[in-house]
Amino acid sequence: MTRPLRIGLVLLTGLIAAMLVSLAVGAVAIPLSVIVNTLLDLDGPQQDFIINRSRLPRTLLAVVTGASLAMSGAIIQALLRNPLASPKIIGINSGAALAVLLSVVLAGGVPLGFLPAVAALGGVAAAAIIYILAEVRPVSPARLALVGIAVGFTADAGVDFILVTADTYDISAPLVWLTGSLWSRGWSHLGAVAPLLICLMGVCLLLSYRLDIIRLGSAQATGLGMHVRRARLVLLTLATLLAAVSVSVVGVLGFVGLMAPHIARLLVGGAHRTLLPVALLVGALLVVIADAAGRALVPGIEISAGILTAIFGAPFFVFLLLTREIEARS
Amino acid sequence: MKSVPAGNLRAGIVRGASAALLLGAVAVGALWSLSTGGRSDVGFGDLFRPDDLARTVLSDIRAPRTLAAACLGINLGIAGLALQAITRNPLASPAILGINQGAALGLALAFVLPIFGAVGPELMAILGAFGAGVLTFAIAGGFGGRMDAMRLILGGVAVGAFSYAVVRFTFTLEDDIARSVVRWTVGDITDIRWDATLRLSAWSIPGIIAAMILSQRFNLVALGQDAARGLGADPRVTLLLGTVLAAVLAGVSVSVAGPISFTGLVVPHLARFLFGGDHRILVPAVAGLGAALMLLADALSKVLTAPIEAPIGAIAALIGAPWFLWLAVRAKGFE
Amino acid sequence: MKRLICAVALMFGILSTSAVARDIAHELGTTTVPDAPERIVVLEFSFIDALASVGVAPVGIADDNRRDRVIAEYTEIIGDEWVSVGTRKTPSLEVIASLSPDLIIADKNRHSEAFGTFSEIAPTIVLDSLGGDYHASVEQMTIIGEAIGKPEEMATRVAAHKAKMADYVAQIKPKAAGVSAQFGVTNANGLWLHSPVSYNGSLLEMFGFASGMSPDGEGGLYEKTYVPTTLEQLSEVNPDILIFGEYADPSHVDSWSGETLYEGLTAVEAGKVFNVTAHNWSRLRGMLAAELTAADIVEIMGKIE
Repeated sequence: MTRPLRIGLVLLTGLIAAMLVSLAVGAVAIPLSVIVNTLLDLDGPQQDFIINRSRLPRTLLAVVTGASLAMSGAIIQALLRNPLASPKIIGINSGAALAVLLSVVLAGGVPLGFLPAVAALGGVAAAAIIYILAEVRPVSPARLALVGIAVGFTADAGVDFILVTADTYDISAPLVWLTGSLWSRGWSHLGAVAPLLICLMGVCLLLSYRLDIIRLGSAQATGLGMHVRRARLVLLTLATLLAAVSVSVVGVLGFVGLMAPHIARLLVGGAHRTLLPVALLVGALLVVIADAAGRALVPGIEISAGILTAIFGAPFFVFLLLTREIEARS
Repeated sequence: MKSVPAGNLRAGIVRGASAALLLGAVAVGALWSLSTGGRSDVGFGDLFRPDDLARTVLSDIRAPRTLAAACLGINLGIAGLALQAITRNPLASPAILGINQGAALGLALAFVLPIFGAVGPELMAILGAFGAGVLTFAIAGGFGGRMDAMRLILGGVAVGAFSYAVVRFTFTLEDDIARSVVRWTVGDITDIRWDATLRLSAWSIPGIIAAMILSQRFNLVALGQDAARGLGADPRVTLLLGTVLAAVLAGVSVSVAGPISFTGLVVPHLARFLFGGDHRILVPAVAGLGAALMLLADALSKVLTAPIEAPIGAIAALIGAPWFLWLAVRAKGFE
Repeated sequence: MKRLICAVALMFGILSTSAVARDIAHELGTTTVPDAPERIVVLEFSFIDALASVGVAPVGIADDNRRDRVIAEYTEIIGDEWVSVGTRKTPSLEVIASLSPDLIIADKNRHSEAFGTFSEIAPTIVLDSLGGDYHASVEQMTIIGEAIGKPEEMATRVAAHKAKMADYVAQIKPKAAGVSAQFGVTNANGLWLHSPVSYNGSLLEMFGFASGMSPDGEGGLYEKTYVPTTLEQLSEVNPDILIFGEYADPSHVDSWSGETLYEGLTAVEAGKVFNVTAHNWSRLRGMLAAELTAADIVEIMGKIE
């Protein structure tokens, strides 16, 4: 058994364990026997709603969005050749947030089915602006990240303006969503985004070898017969969609897309054929833990998963800054 | 008679004209800000022949607010100028280095936890600002003597994100708290009075003086670390003094008005564009420009969404964020 | 013990779903609810008011985790046995589900997004409590009466309420002619006036008060329900009577005392500034709440004379 495979299996086991813990914690304490009864539909007392229709879809949603954000981050880091890049850093999250808030204010909200589309539109628009602006001059990875931060700030300014001028109760729900909360998320939300996200992740896994070629540098990649610009564009679009669609259901879950690829790189090294699947598992694990912790820490009050990921993610980011050389600069 | 070289003369004229224009802009901004407000019946004409009501409105309500806007512009502009000088980084500013957010975190702690409340909100804001600034500089390697431009920005973003994550936690609590925190995290001087304005302005003049004293040091830092050291000004001392100045000015501003983004970034750039790179001239120029810009923002905040007033911070961010974007596209030193 | 509660809860669930059902039209469509729901969860205070009006005790209340937010006037009727299901903003779905409710009453502005999820727990009806005015809230009472299978009792209670309010109106209206009154809530950071389209605004209008915020003035149209207001704006609204609900002590409005502009307000000069319980006026929004509000106004008008 190879090392990556071994690590993958350990992570998978960890993820399953975390999912089980996530099923077991929450505002209502449910004995383990009842959980098992409900999951396997055995005889005896069951808690159908709490387990099957609240915690289970929520946990699965955490798995899918965590995996998507991690994969998005891994691809963006590879494309920008910048270990500090992530969906949040390059403004996709803020773009998606602005689009959703605008839809609430201008059109009184959109049906659930269209929410991913609106968010994806905002995220893609932000990413497109970033890409175009960075293309104005020779695009260095560092500048792309910088422009991304600036686009993020600009979208945030719009978000803030809407938040302070809208009627309080219009934004009551978006406020909760903005902090990255899985409150009230169920099968319908999972159904709205999971098929798309899983397909996107599948395509990304198939294309992962291209990331390795791009990492060799443009000249070598072209030498190997690859259309580098097109490959970059396709992968960047995929990464953007992954992040934006995730944001549309779980709000702004910061730093997952940053942390997961790094942890994965520490575990299995930089080859993307192994890095992407491992990053995916790590991302899923992180969000499942954050969501479960948010429910378990103070029973009765839900601490948004996004707040927890930011509180742990930001110091991690600083740690990376201090220990990693920024490839782009050397 | 000493002959003045033609180039210097032209530069002098340009500077003189710019200074006059600047004073004009401050005056226009102040008049516009004073002549708009919640009462539609107190307008421009009342500035000169006020009746009793108009006099009360102008002296009790609008004047402190207008002065506060100007002082915010001065404080944040000089804080930004100091940060850009000591880091030699065109993107440095209180908001981007996480200093505003650190101040907000300090204030939030003072609000929520009684232990910190005893310290007093103003001091907590300054401490938060200072802590965030030191942390960001440490991350960028500033105290080792070599400040990395990219690390500085990214470190600031991380420190800011961490601080705001904690502050935003209050969103999920009660409506009343969320309502005030949202309004307050974008910067608001809607209902400011003389006591708060005086607290703010008390730091503006000393701030300008301190920046003037430091301006020669800032100029030396601009020459480069080695040159500065050769001329007897340790850049690390400049870094520390500049941080204290920026933290106090930004911290006081945040404690009175909440974190206002981008003023500290935009104003020094405009000033450099108009007046060149000499900090001895830049300090008063930044003070004037900062005041003018925030007076304009204050007037807009009363007009744009009338009859409801928008917080000045939201307006400043809408003006400043695209500017940051433009700078990010054009700034040198990030290749 | 917990298991026993669960079992009892389940039994109730089975019993109630087997009862005859009826269709209730609400903000988000039509929901089939059991004929006589026994285990009702309410997610806004005005829905407690509705239940208490006909003597029904909810099993779960979104009381913002503070039981004292359910006022004594309600607990006298509904007792003290309810389970807190968390904040009105994000009530705990798990706690709601663990109560095995057979009816959930939710708010349009706060909970529309979660309607699907609530519906999976139990039949859910959604009404506009937070954004609706007084007249809408009374209409909601009738809908809730239908939904909980007590339409006749509710009709009687609503009729009694209307008679009582008409009595109050008769007492107040003659004195209110040509007088403007304005209600606002104030916390430590600001003042929010409740505009004529808000719950309290519509109540004051019903009692015959004018509003300085009326759109015919030059001050612009107030389309929003809760309007953040500065002292300068308040001085333009300048009502004859000011009623404040304070959420903080000292409140933002308290900080204005002594200022020339504040002391020069018509209401302040005439000593017609009154403090009421902000919670009762601003959050409750029901029949009993309206009666308490009306009683407050009668008291205020009594003081003025």
